[in-house]
Formats: sequence, C-alpha cells, structure tokens
Amino acid sequence: MRNPIMVGERVYLRPLEVADAEGLASIDAVETDTFMWRGPMPSSPLGHEKWIAKLYEHRPPKDIVFAVCLKEDDRFIGLVSVYAVDFVNRVGETGSFLGPAEVRDKGYGTEAKHLLLEYCFDRLHLHVLQSFVLETNTRSSAALAKQGYSLAGRTKWADIKNGRYVDGNAYDLKRDEWLAARDAWLRSRSGD
Amino acid sequence: MGEMRIVYLTGECVYLRPLVLADKDFAPAWHPGPFLIGAAQAENILKDEAADPGLRLALVRKETDEIVGSVKLRSNDGFRRCLVTFHLAPSMSDHDALRAEALRVIVPWLRDQMEVMVVSVEMAGDEAETIAAAEELGMVPSVRLREFVARAGCRVDSLTYQALNPRWEVKDA
Repeated sequence: MRNPIMVGERVYLRPLEVADAEGLASIDAVETDTFMWRGPMPSSPLGHEKWIAKLYEHRPPKDIVFAVCLKEDDRFIGLVSVYAVDFVNRVGETGSFLGPAEVRDKGYGTEAKHLLLEYCFDRLHLHVLQSFVLETNTRSSAALAKQGYSLAGRTKWADIKNGRYVDGNAYDLKRDEWLAARDAWLRSRSGD
Repeated sequence: MGEMRIVYLTGECVYLRPLVLADKDFAPAWHPGPFLIGAAQAENILKDEAADPGLRLALVRKETDEIVGSVKLRSNDGFRRCLVTFHLAPSMSDHDALRAEALRVIVPWLRDQMEVMVVSVEMAGDEAETIAAAEELGMVPSVRLREFVARAGCRVDSLTYQALNPRWEVKDA
C-alpha cells in the first residue's frame, strides 16, 4: 500500500496525486455505464492534473478527494470525496465514483464509502453529511440508503436526462445512522 | 457609491449594487465566512471574482449607503437554474429582516425577468422572516437537511426553497 490513510479489508484510501490524472482520463475513456449523469464524457489528463493540484491549494481544504486503491495490487479504481467541507458548521457533501464498469458490483464501492464516512465522522468530526443524485440514478440512491442516508428532499429540474428535465434527490446522514448502517453491512458480510 | 444602485434591484430599505475596488476596505461586510479578511486580500478576491462566472452583489442599506451584506448568484448553465446565497455583515443585528428583503428583490427579478427556470435559495430553519418572504413569493420548500447549521449552543436545519418559473411547462417527473 502506498500512503494509506484509511484501510479496509480489500481497498484502501490514499491522497489523490497529480500522477493519477492519466488513470482518471483512462477510466473516463472506457466508461460504458450511463446511469450516473447525462452520459459518459471524455476527459483530458491535463484537466485532471490542474484540478488535482488545486485540491491542495487551500488549508484547511475545501474538497477532500481520496484515491480508492485495491490492497492486492495497488490498482487505482476510483474516487471517494467530501466536497464543500465547512469546518464551522461541520458539514460536507460526499460523492464517489468507481470505474471502469468491471470494478463495480464487487462491493469495493461500499467498502470505500464506509472508509470515507469514518474519515468524515471520526477524524474530521463532521456532524452531518449530504449527498445528491439525480432521481434517475436509482443505483446510487439505493447505495446511499444502504449506507444510512435519509432522503432530505427533491430539487426540481436538476438536470437533463433522456430528453427531459429530471429532479434531484438530496440525502443527509448523521453519525449514529452511519454507524448503524455500517454494523448492518459488516454483519451481512460475516453472514450473521 | 449610491450611483451604482441597480434600479430594478431596489427594495424598501435595501438595494443591490456591483462590488467595486473601494469595497476592499469593508470586506467583512460582503465576504462570506467568519474568518478575518484584510483589505489587501480583499482586493485580490474582488479582482478574482470579477473573472468568476458567478456574480456577487453588495447588499446596501438605502438610508445610509452602508454595505450590510452580499448576494452571490451561481449558475452553471447560463442562468437556466440559479443558486442564490446570502452573507450578512457580522456587525448587523437584523440579519433575518435584511435577508428577507433581499430575497423579495432578487427572486422576482431572476424568475420573472431573467427567465430563470428555477431559483434555489438555502436558508437556516430559524430564519423566520426569510422563510415567510420565500413563501410570500410562492417559493416551495424542496430540501431539509437536518442539523446542518451550527448556532451558538445548538444546531438548526438547513432549508432549500425553490422558485419555479411557471412559464416553463416542464412535466413533473
């Protein structure tokens, strides 16, 4: 493992590096799923390099983005993040993205997300987190519900999908709710 | 600076105007957040924000021409959808009333003149005058984030109200 910050059973989180820019562009280039937003969008490593460098300009940071890596071979398989961190109100907005498609549906995303939530609640001591997905993204909505998030409302006409404006679902999560969800997830993994 | 007053963004007690370089000397009044900001840093922020796609306007008390806060307008789709956030000067004691009046000025302009489809405004659950103003304006509550705002000794919910433009006939999902 290289620079691990949060370590799980199969994945670990490390700081995102400028050197990951090419990996991110490669993931975007082979994207086949369209459930997340409008659709796949190609990206340039140069753009990612600029964005990653910018993440480290602020102290304390506004956005904290982890690289998700496999423990077995250090392969970089995506990002988990907390954006717009507000250290006064102790809140932030979480997001995650794993790719390419072949690494999804293996439980890596759930494991990485619980590591992120542990970082947010138990290291940064944030009080509440929010997350946002398009209503058409039922897959991410289901994942959020499993991680303990509650539906906090719907914003109208949040984006375009399938030729029409669709709403967005907002979620929030407090620490005790996350702990209960993580316990349930750990029990399900151990077969209890 | 009263000559910069935007005539169509003027209410009973407050008006909005563009920020100018001289406002660097009053940065705590318009710059969001509780942290200290000096004039030199404020000058850089004003110059940087001038190139920013978002727009921050000074909120000014009509009677005194004093900056009492600021309003930030953000849109990433050419003002089809717009998020409005407020900052009130820490020295003011009538935050809720000032924010409510600013809302009464901003929302009709964005929705009815600028043809914005949906105007979103975040407010804290204890800002009763702002909430009342939002409801008077026909805004609808869309999101309630629990305990999202820290107050001295307690926490309150964060509310998002949205003004939907009736001229956009978009069917419900």
